[in-house]
Amino acid sequence: MRQRRSLAGNILLAGVILILLFWVLFPFYWAFLNSIKKPADTFQSSWIPFLQFQPTLEHWRNELAIPEIRRALWNSTVISVGAASLASVLGTLAAYALARFHFHKPQNGTLTTWFLSQRVLPPVVVVIPFFLLMRQLHLLDSVVALILLNATFTLPFPVIILSQMIRDLPLELEEAAWVDGASRFQSFLQIVVPLILPGLVATWIIAMAFSWNEFLFALSLTTKKAIPMPVIIAGAEHTRGVQFWFVGVRVLMTMLPPLFLALLAQRWIIRGLTLGAVKG
Amino acid sequence: MAQAPDRSTVSPNPASQDPVSPAPSQRKLEDRTKAVFILPAVFWILAFTVFPLLYALYTSFFSFRFGQINQFVGLQNFGRLFTDGNLHSDLRITLIFVASTVAVEMVLGFALALLLNQEMRGQNVLRAIMTLPLFATPVAVGYLGITIYLETNGPINTFIRALGGQGIPWLSHPVWALVAIIIIDIWQWTPFVFLVSLAGLQSLPQDLYEAAEVDGGAGWQLFRYITLPLMAPVLWLILLLRLVEAFKVFDIPTSLTLGGPGRATEVYSLYTYRTALRFFDHGYAAAQGFLLLFIVMLIVTLLYGRIRELYQEEA
Repeated sequence: MRQRRSLAGNILLAGVILILLFWVLFPFYWAFLNSIKKPADTFQSSWIPFLQFQPTLEHWRNELAIPEIRRALWNSTVISVGAASLASVLGTLAAYALARFHFHKPQNGTLTTWFLSQRVLPPVVVVIPFFLLMRQLHLLDSVVALILLNATFTLPFPVIILSQMIRDLPLELEEAAWVDGASRFQSFLQIVVPLILPGLVATWIIAMAFSWNEFLFALSLTTKKAIPMPVIIAGAEHTRGVQFWFVGVRVLMTMLPPLFLALLAQRWIIRGLTLGAVKG
Repeated sequence: MAQAPDRSTVSPNPASQDPVSPAPSQRKLEDRTKAVFILPAVFWILAFTVFPLLYALYTSFFSFRFGQINQFVGLQNFGRLFTDGNLHSDLRITLIFVASTVAVEMVLGFALALLLNQEMRGQNVLRAIMTLPLFATPVAVGYLGITIYLETNGPINTFIRALGGQGIPWLSHPVWALVAIIIIDIWQWTPFVFLVSLAGLQSLPQDLYEAAEVDGGAGWQLFRYITLPLMAPVLWLILLLRLVEAFKVFDIPTSLTLGGPGRATEVYSLYTYRTALRFFDHGYAAAQGFLLLFIVMLIVTLLYGRIRELYQEEA
């Protein structure tokens, strides 16, 4: 709505935005502040590094030197990259099928709903069978198990979003290739995939962030060598007490990768989180 | 709901002009191509969703000892759902959590979207900032919450004391602990309601407003008779997604309060997790899972009809 704002309106608006920014950003700044304060400074209300206190990187260095933390960072990376890549491959193929082929039993709509329902299912319902299953397969405490599960739960993102994108591509592009003797697979790989690449990358990134943040399965299926970052930080205070600097570093180490990924996929996030229903 | 446009069924071979009935050999090839594209994902879901669900159903008919199947107990595990007082109090806690977080997030997020839906500098930056809470690892947020809510010298209580108030027993008082979790959820998910509402508002046809203004409509009337009806499908969708997601809550209570003090913040999923992996009562945990699935499916069924139109146009 394009209306001229009055001065009072402008001030009100600025006030709301300032409060909003403070509310949203405070926890991040708090974590950052504590991660660079010397333990002695943490209990003083000082908010500006260099001016009010001398910042230090020693907590970052100390934490990054801990073998368990390094391993957890590595595990989280392997799990999220692996799961997102797997979901992207399966999802792109299925997206093409849903967009370009006519299915009868079950119909395209039923198949789509079926893929969507994946995000509705409460994970705690399947955590028991997964646990028993992975125990049977000797995959407890392995990154493989978490790659498989996270790929399953992030599969809806590429399926829904890419099938919409493919439907929007003119079929003539592919038809021209078929006339020249290309097969479905060739037209898919050489024409469709390059054209939907932005969406493919975006859903890959979103799936990666979701897999990185996943906690319930990680907690249930890992005990030692496959533990990712979210499990490392949960319950850590029970062994070391509340040490602000240490909380700050670990929280940021866990959060920064998905936050960075979210900013990269910014344009696609609304579409991703509403499973294609609303385009941002 | 999906009717693929006819032309998309055109066979890759231009020799077959009639897409409805291609030559039999052509048809077989087409079927095989279709299968190669769709089957990997279908098998994947069968293996990792449908099979586990069936397996969970199977486990729910047995009692367990030391994590191994002990004996067939019929519907006994489902019967326990009706008599387990702990489950009922945890369900009540979860319902309070879901109702209060979703209500506040919907109202606050939509109000902010209405207020900020205007041309102004830096809107892209604002939107980028608002996506941050959505992707902040929930466990990490809960863990950070321990320091922010700290009673002795956390920033909130320090601020309250500076204003002359009394520090709040955030994590040691049953009611305040639940409030603490609710606040974090509101922090994390109000931006979602905001961003999706804003996207919805910005796709509304401007000419409708102009026409209405010519007819003398203004302010509240425009909102009541144009904005609200047009936004209804989007708002129902947001409500559905938030409700479903809120019922799954696990990460924040687990990292912030571990369900405490006592069991004051033990949400449904945390109880089921404990039943399964602390007490190894897999059969009963499976039955609990199905009750939660039933609740979520009920919500989806009730709301899905209203949202259908959103998906219909493109399907």
